[in-house]
Amino acid sequence: MAISVDPADTSANLRTKKGYTFPFLSDPKAEVIRRYDLLHPAGSPEGHDIARPAEFLVDRSGVVRWENFTEDIRVRPRADQLLAAARSLP
Amino acid sequence: MVDCAAMTENSARRPNSALWLGLLLAVLGVLSNGLTFLGFPASIVPWISLVLPVVGLAFVLLGLWRAFAQPTAYKGKIAGTIVAILSLVFLTAAVAYFWGARKLPHSAGAPAVGQRVPDFTLPDSSGQPVSLSQLFAAPPGGVAPKAILLVFYRGYW
Repeated sequence: MAISVDPADTSANLRTKKGYTFPFLSDPKAEVIRRYDLLHPAGSPEGHDIARPAEFLVDRSGVVRWENFTEDIRVRPRADQLLAAARSLP
Repeated sequence: MVDCAAMTENSARRPNSALWLGLLLAVLGVLSNGLTFLGFPASIVPWISLVLPVVGLAFVLLGLWRAFAQPTAYKGKIAGTIVAILSLVFLTAAVAYFWGARKLPHSAGAPAVGQRVPDFTLPDSSGQPVSLSQLFAAPPGGVAPKAILLVFYRGYW
């Protein structure tokens, strides 16, 4: 599932446009983003607070089993990398 | 015997291809940042976006040198000067963007592997509040997921 500071209607548009079926959650005040220490102050091109890109694979007990913090916004994990991480879980 | 001097004077000066190749490479370097959107392997894009403008500027400087040092053989003193300035601008932009794209916070306090993540409840795209524990529930007629992938993204798309 995807989280960003975008409001619900922006995420709904993106979700429909791309045909995604997984949930998109809105964190407009970046409260959860801060709780996860992922805040990128003034990180958007216009200078708004946003999340830095990060991915966490969380098991049913809420424990992180795999995570990824890119060091370059142009570089994100590929689908096959994410699937490999998911398949490695028992 | 061949009269080289006469031949040089009489033949037209060559177009300065190094200049234009260099400019092309510099422009391609700036455009290469969009390669990730075309499904290109993302991890080499940052390096391509730097290497292309640097190599481009090298060609431009070669072309500029040819235009000024061998003016009877090569055209392009004025075009070369303009292209050199443009290529410098593109290289500066490429370096600035490279630096900015990698200026990310350390996030040292983010949940580590083996740690439990903070729970949360946030509205989904239809405005309904959704909690992390709810996401682990089985969907109607389906199986409960064994794991959830949380993807935090920049937004503002």
